[in-house]
Amino acid sequence: MQFQPTIVSFLCNWCSYTGADLAGTSRMKYAHNIRIIRVMCSGRVEPTFVLRAFKEGADGVLICGCHPGDCHYHEGNYKCLRRFHLLKKYIQQMGIHPDRLRLEWISASEGKQFAELADEMTEAMIKLGPAKINEVMQFA
Amino acid sequence: MEEKRIGVYVCWCGTNIANMVDVENVSKEIQTLPDVVISKDYKYMCSDPGQDLIVRDIKENNLNRVVVAACSPRMHEITFRKALETAGLNPYMFEMANIREHVSWVHTDKVEATKKAKDLIAAAIAKVQWHESLEKRTVEVNPATLIIGGGISGISAALEIANADKQVYLVEKSGALGGQVANIDLTFPFLNSAKQIIDHKIKTVMNHSKISVFFNTEVKHVFGYVGNFETTIKPNGNETLLNFGNIIVATGLKPFDAQKVANYGYGRLPNVLTSIDFEKVLKSGVIITRDGRVPKDIAIIHCVGSRNENYNAYCSRACCMTALKYVNQIKSALPKTNIYDIYSDMRAFGKGCEELYSITSRKNVMFLTFDHKDNLPQIKQASYEDTCNLLIEFKEKFSGELIEVPADMVILMVGMEAHEDAKQIAHAVGVSMCGNKFYIERHPKLDPVATTTDGVYVVGTCQSPKDIPDSVSQARAAAARILASIMVGKVEVEVTTAVVNEDLCCGCQTCVSVCPYTAISFNQEKKVSVVNEVLCKGCGTCGSTCPTGAIRSRHFTDQQILSQIEGLMSASKSKKKLIEIEET
Repeated sequence: MQFQPTIVSFLCNWCSYTGADLAGTSRMKYAHNIRIIRVMCSGRVEPTFVLRAFKEGADGVLICGCHPGDCHYHEGNYKCLRRFHLLKKYIQQMGIHPDRLRLEWISASEGKQFAELADEMTEAMIKLGPAKINEVMQFA
Repeated sequence: MEEKRIGVYVCWCGTNIANMVDVENVSKEIQTLPDVVISKDYKYMCSDPGQDLIVRDIKENNLNRVVVAACSPRMHEITFRKALETAGLNPYMFEMANIREHVSWVHTDKVEATKKAKDLIAAAIAKVQWHESLEKRTVEVNPATLIIGGGISGISAALEIANADKQVYLVEKSGALGGQVANIDLTFPFLNSAKQIIDHKIKTVMNHSKISVFFNTEVKHVFGYVGNFETTIKPNGNETLLNFGNIIVATGLKPFDAQKVANYGYGRLPNVLTSIDFEKVLKSGVIITRDGRVPKDIAIIHCVGSRNENYNAYCSRACCMTALKYVNQIKSALPKTNIYDIYSDMRAFGKGCEELYSITSRKNVMFLTFDHKDNLPQIKQASYEDTCNLLIEFKEKFSGELIEVPADMVILMVGMEAHEDAKQIAHAVGVSMCGNKFYIERHPKLDPVATTTDGVYVVGTCQSPKDIPDSVSQARAAAARILASIMVGKVEVEVTTAVVNEDLCCGCQTCVSVCPYTAISFNQEKKVSVVNEVLCKGCGTCGSTCPTGAIRSRHFTDQQILSQIEGLMSASKSKKKLIEIEET
């Protein structure tokens, strides 16, 4: 049986979560591996959330926010972007492949883009294979 | 610590969820999770019996937390929160798992979909464990309203509100009121004069003691929140501060630029006009070509810039009927002129519109069809031997033949587009745009004039292409919503704000620097940050910045989200037995 990754995704309430809802209302089909957690803003996504997701066994973590300039809270997505770059370096030091963490902009009208992103990331995680981090973190 | 007593309700949504998720099995398995007192599945949780079920269970079983697995929380979270309130429970002791939009509608494997639904419900249960009662807060509503745009929509809303004796600030970008309606001659389907409709309204607005109109003025930034907004405008260069409680965005449309369709030669061939140009011709009282002749043949081409992936994929809704209006107007002015109506599908959806089509089709007009998606008609200058000025060459869809239609004048039925500055207004007032730059309503069916920003409404063609009756209906609906909130005088505001634990705050002030609403200040005496809860909109950026965890984003606390992650992964985690460190 093919490896089925689990991808934890944090979606901002205003753009990305609505975009994912639109994929649903438009009956677009995408990989079942994405598990969505709603936050009000991508700026709310703490590094701890991402690390906890990996620790709990996620094979990938996807953060989605409004496009630059379109944040419902003006600039939360920029705060997220800054944190993301730092976090990407950090997870590598912990032995997690950097491609396992992604930040993408999905607007409320981009249901199609969300569905494509879900498929694409699932494909990429299948290629990378299971994330092998949780035992390491438990020892740490 | 209080005992957690959770009730879980899995919705079938008719067959919408039940088709792809084994809801009965899900609810049975969820029952075994710790703290779950009741787990049930039901056909329609949002229905009255569905809600009654929750209310009854809360009372009979002393539930103190509820999870509903159904559609998107953006759809029915409020519905279920109200049910909790009815049962005497704090509405925030509730969490929703989205197993319709995020599961049943998007997946095709029933086993995997069922598994995913269980994960999402487990996550919701894990999160709701940590939910806490939040008290509702209300603020006073400033009875004034800002309306952006002075077209038929803005004017209609302004009059509705002002006639209820409430102040309206009407800000118009151009130097005149009336918008697109002021540019047209007759309206469809009853061929009434647009001037008669709009002139009287403009006059009433201008003389109304409760309406202040600002011409040549734009709204750049709006601050505040529902009930208490403010903006500074600069009419005639004088800075003016306006305070208001609600906003109506009625910025209208921009006609499609016909030059983008090279086939039609607009701008190059003088007798190719757009519908906007032709309204001017009609208003002038004489239908003549650019070179001053009475046209023997007039062709009308539909769907210019509409229903075509190269331009706009959507239908502009009003052009078909406008074309029929032209047919009637031309026929009555120039009975001998031949009219060719070249259309793709006749969209006659409104009241009286099918009747207009039926009447018009008996008027000796040549109706021809074309393919609006590819091989658009080609308009070219006729040669000297021809008896007409222009020739339109296209493949007639019904006959399948390549034909040529003569014309002395061609009218292009241009579609509607959002304004170029739509994004700027969207940012100023905090509304979202769809891919076509039209503003997005809160819900297409259940809440069509409100937006996701409380106190901001969208009406008319800035929301989507529409005709005058629909624009006016929306405008008056938004006005009614606003008057209702003014009447109550108070409005509920966000309670999911940030709060500082002063014992943990180290006084670094990082939160102060990241807050987009300047809602956090620093108390010099206590050396701690303080959140102004009226200004806070609950984005949670401060919460994720705080190095000591002193700031809690209510309803999205660290504890709640971390538990949600654990709940989400509880099923897949147990499967994983991993030892190696991954290469990087």
